[in-house]
Amino acid sequence: MERAVSLIGFGQTRFGEWWGKGIKDLMAEATNAALDAAPCTALDIDLIIVGNMLAETLNGQAHLSALASTLLPHRPPALRVESACGSGAFALHTASAMLESGRARTVLVIGVEKMTDASADEAADALMGAADAEKDRPSGITFPGIFGLVAARYMHDYGLQRDELSLVSAVHHRQATENPFAQFRSEISPETISKSPLIADPLRLLDCSPISDGAAACILSTAFQSDLRLVASQIATDALSLADREELTSFAANRDASERAYLEANIRPKDIEVLETHDCFSIAALINLEDLGFAEPGEAISIYRNLYDGIPGTLAVNRSGGLKACGHPVAATGIKQLIDTGKQLRASNSRFGMAHNFGGVCATCAVHVLEHLPS
Amino acid sequence: MKITPAIAARAAARRPRSLQEGTIISLTTLTHPLAAFGNRPRTIALIRLEDGSKSLASLTAPGVIGQTVRPRMRLSHITEDQLRMYDVSYEPLALQRVPEHAPFPGYILALTGPSGVGKSTVSRLLLHACAEYVQNVPILTTRARKPGDEGEYRYVSKEKFSQWLEDGEIVAVTKIPSQDEARWYGYRARDIEAIWKKGKVPLVITETHLLQGLANHYSRRSILSFGLLPPGRSKRTMLSCLLRRLRQRGRETEEQIAARLDVAEQDLQFFQNRKDLFDHLMVNDDLNKVIDFLKKKVPGLSA
Repeated sequence: MERAVSLIGFGQTRFGEWWGKGIKDLMAEATNAALDAAPCTALDIDLIIVGNMLAETLNGQAHLSALASTLLPHRPPALRVESACGSGAFALHTASAMLESGRARTVLVIGVEKMTDASADEAADALMGAADAEKDRPSGITFPGIFGLVAARYMHDYGLQRDELSLVSAVHHRQATENPFAQFRSEISPETISKSPLIADPLRLLDCSPISDGAAACILSTAFQSDLRLVASQIATDALSLADREELTSFAANRDASERAYLEANIRPKDIEVLETHDCFSIAALINLEDLGFAEPGEAISIYRNLYDGIPGTLAVNRSGGLKACGHPVAATGIKQLIDTGKQLRASNSRFGMAHNFGGVCATCAVHVLEHLPS
Repeated sequence: MKITPAIAARAAARRPRSLQEGTIISLTTLTHPLAAFGNRPRTIALIRLEDGSKSLASLTAPGVIGQTVRPRMRLSHITEDQLRMYDVSYEPLALQRVPEHAPFPGYILALTGPSGVGKSTVSRLLLHACAEYVQNVPILTTRARKPGDEGEYRYVSKEKFSQWLEDGEIVAVTKIPSQDEARWYGYRARDIEAIWKKGKVPLVITETHLLQGLANHYSRRSILSFGLLPPGRSKRTMLSCLLRRLRQRGRETEEQIAARLDVAEQDLQFFQNRKDLFDHLMVNDDLNKVIDFLKKKVPGLSA
């Protein structure tokens, strides 16, 4: 990082189905919470960056930058960033670039998505925008289908069993019971997950993150300090379509972004004590743990087995509940991950935490590393 | 997203490229596809096509990873405007049964090479030197005895040959067309197994089709396979060496020799293409060296 960037405030709405709240209401709620928690005032914000993917298709609303700007009394400059499900973290990366360059000193980053106004079919169709419209879409595939292909190949190559895969969502649901902002705060047994309806063989309903409304906001600053310092912000990309990839069971963008982040923060995977990773589908969590350097290929399930059995010393993965149990209002997720990483670093008094967010089937990936420096 | 005529036209322009056979890399079945794609479960696969490119497309029926698929034009779905959209869908081909090999009974020593390379000479020397360990397997043939045959053939009538073939007694067979009628050659399981019973190693002096037949029947690992090549650095010099030897042998007319050279050229290509069928390739430039090499590589002979 070219300058010391601190995470000085954050807030979010609870994720879920919010009939009574529109996009602007959700953004306002998250922004107010972030400002309340920050040492700065609204007038110190000199730039707003909004992450959002689906407002045009699902809400008939473009121009979110101007919409967000009117949340603050002095209407600061604002822009919008889109990178599918990775929009939140790409907004953070953009903010970080603005801060490092000196163009801004205190930036409000908002991730927002309002998905439940549309039917499930419309939402699934809109989400397909994250894949290749001309190569993938005509086959009739959906995102659960794309990850179904990935999961089928992973199980074929590494012999992962269906009952083992169910541990992933079971762990996320158990951990979400402690998160007041999570959409689903109930435990679900691996047996129930294995028996839930088939969506895209071998993936079942309870392997999939839900459709949610929600917003998350955080304030990054070079002018104000806090005990949470952003020490790496890296992005990477890969081919949009699986048909243009060499491999199905590992994602190049995951590896590239995390390698660059480790280098920038000058740490190694074993230094990370808190991880929020992008488990849009259970299989993604396993592949991410392998790509980010926490497990050998085909062996990430052992981390979830240890988490399920409560073995001490296991890496804390998705203590927030992950996308599965927390909910996945697409662009809000990347910001929420950074918020939860910060909260957990404080709660456990650990030093390094990582927030890992990707778009589509990891065609874009952003990795942020937070360092906790208690005074 | 609505499929407009322009989008459909671009898809149609790309379609010819996807009309190839392929292999399933992975597949999934959507229980409830998007409404635009109908309300029946839809199986979609990532397919590696023959030209190396990959395609995401529907399957006409569920398959398995690794299965071969063939393209078919099929009604993909009916749009909201009642347009019937046709697209390439891939049909999984029937799975082939993996042949069940007979249990490993012992091994067969095989010597393969083009005519004139010196197979018979090598085998004669080998059988002479190691008569206690190695025994020649007779080749069954429907052709008549010829001067110059050296006891490597067993002559049977065509009726008997086809009877044995029908009874499954013949484990490797090949047909070589000639001017008047097709000639059949083959090996009988009984002949090979009798040699094993004696505790010896069956030696087959063979050609490419019979070698493949034996490998299919007894499994490749049952065969210790040697290829015998004429000396020469290029195919051309190898072939001219064979020509010289065939002429020296003086058993055949120029016409027959020319036909043999054609086959020899294919054989040399076969060594290149089917390396997997050979354990060792030897160049027959010095008979003693070839025999020494064989003795060293064949367990039991070196002792």
